[in-house]
Amino acid sequence: MALPEIISGRVWKLGDHVNTDLLHPPSHFTPDEKRMKEGIAEGRTRLGAGVKGDSSEEGWIIVAGENFGCGSSRETSVRGLASFGVKGVVAVYFARIFMRSLVNLGIPVFEAKEIQGCVKDGEMIRISLKEVWIEGPDSKRFPFSPLDPHLRRILEAGGLIGYLRSEKHGI
Amino acid sequence: MAKGITGEIIEGHADGRSEGKYLSVEVDFVLLHDPTFALLLPELKESGEEIWDRDKVLLTVDHFAPPSSIERANMVKEVLSFAAEKKLPHLSVYQGICHQLLVEGPWLKPGMLVLGADSHTVTGGALGCLATGMGSTDILYSLITGRAWLKPPEAVRIDLREKLPPYLMGKDVILDLLGRYGEGGFLYQAMEFYDMDEALSMDDRFAICNMAVEGGAKNGLFQPDRVTEDFLIERDGCLSHPVNRFDGERPYSRKIEVELSKIKPKVALPHSPAQVIDAEEMRGEAIDQVFIGSCTGGRLRDIELTAKLLMGRKVARGVNLLVTPASQRIYQKAIEKGYISTIIGAGGVVLNPSCGPCGGIDKGILGREEKCLSTSNRNFKGRMGDPSSKVFLSSPLTAAASALAGRIIDPREVM
Repeated sequence: MALPEIISGRVWKLGDHVNTDLLHPPSHFTPDEKRMKEGIAEGRTRLGAGVKGDSSEEGWIIVAGENFGCGSSRETSVRGLASFGVKGVVAVYFARIFMRSLVNLGIPVFEAKEIQGCVKDGEMIRISLKEVWIEGPDSKRFPFSPLDPHLRRILEAGGLIGYLRSEKHGI
Repeated sequence: MAKGITGEIIEGHADGRSEGKYLSVEVDFVLLHDPTFALLLPELKESGEEIWDRDKVLLTVDHFAPPSSIERANMVKEVLSFAAEKKLPHLSVYQGICHQLLVEGPWLKPGMLVLGADSHTVTGGALGCLATGMGSTDILYSLITGRAWLKPPEAVRIDLREKLPPYLMGKDVILDLLGRYGEGGFLYQAMEFYDMDEALSMDDRFAICNMAVEGGAKNGLFQPDRVTEDFLIERDGCLSHPVNRFDGERPYSRKIEVELSKIKPKVALPHSPAQVIDAEEMRGEAIDQVFIGSCTGGRLRDIELTAKLLMGRKVARGVNLLVTPASQRIYQKAIEKGYISTIIGAGGVVLNPSCGPCGGIDKGILGREEKCLSTSNRNFKGRMGDPSSKVFLSSPLTAAASALAGRIIDPREVM
């Protein structure tokens, strides 16, 4: 089982309707992983990230608003986030292609409403998949909507390619 | 649940397996293009798996068409050598934008379930299919298995009544809906259009379905009718099968009524396709560039109405008008009918069919603080160039009228 019980990381906060063109400008489309990651750094600059610097030893957890990831299906935005060290994504709600792609690449998604106003950029948060809570820096806990069993199975397989392998081998 | 025509198509393609709210469905057709296929190609090769049915796949090179950098040239080369090695039967290189090629070809018919590695695959829904876009990994899964996992969406019924007045186009209809309901207004839902008076052309319907994704919808779909049948007969020479018209009443989660004659020409303001106002309220916003093209606004009717408005007139000084037909076939028809000559005579520049300026890919990239009125589908910040540039969206008619004026105007001012 590839899915850890607890995920933790630094908050990267984003607003409502953040689209994939903003997150990863289309001019930065590339199959090269290193340059894909640079596209995310460019997106962070354009979005005005509240935390200086692009690296976090602890990894990142995005806390976004409504309709996160609307726009293009270009998976470079999601692959770039994975290279960037994003370990999980919280949003009020997601755009559908973007949510599928996050799960397909093994990045857990959480729909939660109250947390957006209670955390700041750079703060450490923890998420328990088992007990269904997100814990802010002051230990306050917020619930999230339970993940659909299908998406959970994909995440447990480490992504859609792992899921396909398990389907093929009847595991 | 209000499942609509979309739900009926999903159920008709289900193979009996389900997990959570998702159903496993059989896929009728898959659309691929150069950049998103280039992303999944290494994994496809590494898997050692084969494409489940090569006859049900259209591979196009339309984004980097032709390539404008060494990196892009290498991506296209990879894609083309794979297509040659696997002898893919449906390959289209530099022939136009994938969403137009998909509906020009003989493949799509009402009731089909179609996936594409591009969000604007929803365009094909105008033919009464369930057509939707996905990321590269989802498409890789479907290419290998011939299946996909879909969550049946709630369906919204949208009744369009009366005819479009001569100053309106399908683009105004979808901008009006996006303006009223917002970027998340149809989230995860199916937008199902009923053209009650069978009065909208297919090109207008393609533009409407194309932007369903801008409202967050899973798909946009027109109930098949006489207009659909006429299109299929003209395209294929005959109707190979009787068209399933999906007649009959079905429950919907929401119903929306649109009186086409009441709409006014619309403009979406930077940086959201759902931030929409009437063109007449623009108060003469000056522009540097007008782009008429893309999978939303580069079809024959778009080029035709552009040319008819430009006939005998000149584009305003200081404005660059770029026109990109959506496919070579459209380009050729536009040449035969004299539209291209008229556009060039008015001062417009015609680019070869491809995605081009729409995604800031090549040609017509915007510089610092430049403003562009575009007939494409997205005006997100930085999409067409410098992050400080601004993109407004409108119909081709409003765009052509504004190119003449040098500022954004309601096309009725010059009609």
